[in-house]
Order: sequence, then C-alpha cells, then structure tokens
Amino acid sequence: MPTQEEKEQDEILVRDMKAGHMEAFDKIFELYQRRIYALSFNMTRNQMDAQDVTQEVLLTIYRKIDTFQGKSAFSSWVYRITLNATYMKLRTKKKEQYVSLDEGLPNFNHAGFQNEKISDWSKSTDSLLFSNETKGVIEKAVELLPEKEKVVFILRDIEGLSTEKVGDILDLTIPAVKSRLHRARLFLRKRLSNYFDEYKTRSSKK
Amino acid sequence: MICCKECIDLLCDYFEGTLNPDTAASLEDHFKDCPPCVSFLETYRQTSDLCRKTLTPVEIPEPVQIKLREFVKNYIQSP
Repeated sequence: MPTQEEKEQDEILVRDMKAGHMEAFDKIFELYQRRIYALSFNMTRNQMDAQDVTQEVLLTIYRKIDTFQGKSAFSSWVYRITLNATYMKLRTKKKEQYVSLDEGLPNFNHAGFQNEKISDWSKSTDSLLFSNETKGVIEKAVELLPEKEKVVFILRDIEGLSTEKVGDILDLTIPAVKSRLHRARLFLRKRLSNYFDEYKTRSSKK
Repeated sequence: MICCKECIDLLCDYFEGTLNPDTAASLEDHFKDCPPCVSFLETYRQTSDLCRKTLTPVEIPEPVQIKLREFVKNYIQSP
C-alpha cells in the first residue's frame, strides 16, 4: 500500500490537476512514468508496446482526471488504466498460448504425500543468476503464464505491491489474489526446477 | 500430521504470515520430518526472488524517455 504521505501527495496533485494546474500533471508524469512503463513492459516484453501504452495512459490521466472520484487510491486507478491499455495492446497481436498450470504440483500418493524426489536448487543459483540463459528461461516462463495469473504475479512479486493493493487494483478478493499468485509460483517453480536440474546434469557430464 | 499436499497448498499464506498459529505450527512440524517439503519450500521462495531479480528494475531507455517528454509537450501541454 502507498504510505499515508504518498496518498496525501497524490490527493493534492489530483486536486491541483482538476483545478487546471499543469505543474501537477508534470509531477504526476515524473512520479508515475516508470511504474506505468515497467508494468506494461513486464506484461508485453516489448519496448515499443510499453512506450505506446505509457503515452496512452498519460493522455488518459490528463483527459479523464475529472472522472476520477477518489473511491480508491489514485495509484490503483493509474495501474488499472495501464492494465487496460496493455490488454488492448496484447489483444491486437495475441497468439494465445495455453499452458496447464496443473503441472506445477509434484506427484502425490493417495494419502497426499510426495512421491517424487525434490531437489533443492535454491542455494546454487547465484552463479547462474546473471547468465543470459537463465534470464531467458525466467522471462519465457513468466511470459507463458495465463494472463490472470501473470498480472497478479507481476504486480505482487515483481513490482512488490501488497496483496491488498493487488486486490484493490484488480477488484479481486484477497483469497482470489493469493490463489492466482500461488498457481503462478507453482508453475514457475516447476519450470525453474526443470531448468536447474537439467543444468546440473549438463555440468556433471562435462 | 498434515500431508505434503496440504502443506504446499498453505505455502502462500505461510509466507504472508496469515496462517493461524496452530496451522503454522503443524506446518512447521511437518517440515521437521519431511526433507522433500523443505526443498519445495526453499525453491518456492527462491522462485519469486529469482524472478524479481531478473525482471527488475525496469528503467525507461533514454530514447523512450525523450519520446515521452516530446509526447507530453506536444499533445498534453500544448494540445
């Protein structure tokens, strides 16, 4: 959640902007352009698309500020406009890729206990973290997430917003946010596990 | 004792710190006796960390910065 101070600052900026003070818009531009661009870029992974979305969002803020009623935080409103513009962008070029999120869980026996060997690669990723290969695998895995899970994962785990804030932006209940987040994490964990296990096998053969 | 499947279902709440104390305690009891679940827990946590470190920070590239400033100047400040 934004701090009380940020919220108050936003309220003043919105009020000034509604009163026609251009400096308030300039300040909003400075405060929000990176957040708008980053969210859109992480959703589309395309610089041109993120630039188009950012421009569109800035224009919408400028044109529609009078319709903003302050029922939710200004930042939530900006995130929502950003997501709408991003979805429009994705629709125009979307080749929907379906993946099953079920593969994120390990195998259980009938009593619900794990049946497969789980390797713990969590301590051995440092040297791999900044390799382009690892980066590519992570980017691809996130890209493959279905949209509903992807947006929750990006807002919560990448942008670092609170679960409550994500619920506010997406108009979801807290349990719904957590459920999507959990499914996304399970899917990504499985993908990364496959990659790190394979990497280990490759290295041991060398 | 709760089973592995239940444990994994509770991980999100466990990390959010929103489990009730009894459930959190049974989860931790399970971890004491179940190395596969500990591995699962560690890699689950590491997944979010790795993704964040890889995908952030997103900085706006200089040419895009310039385009955005021009856009604001041309279409918003003097429409």
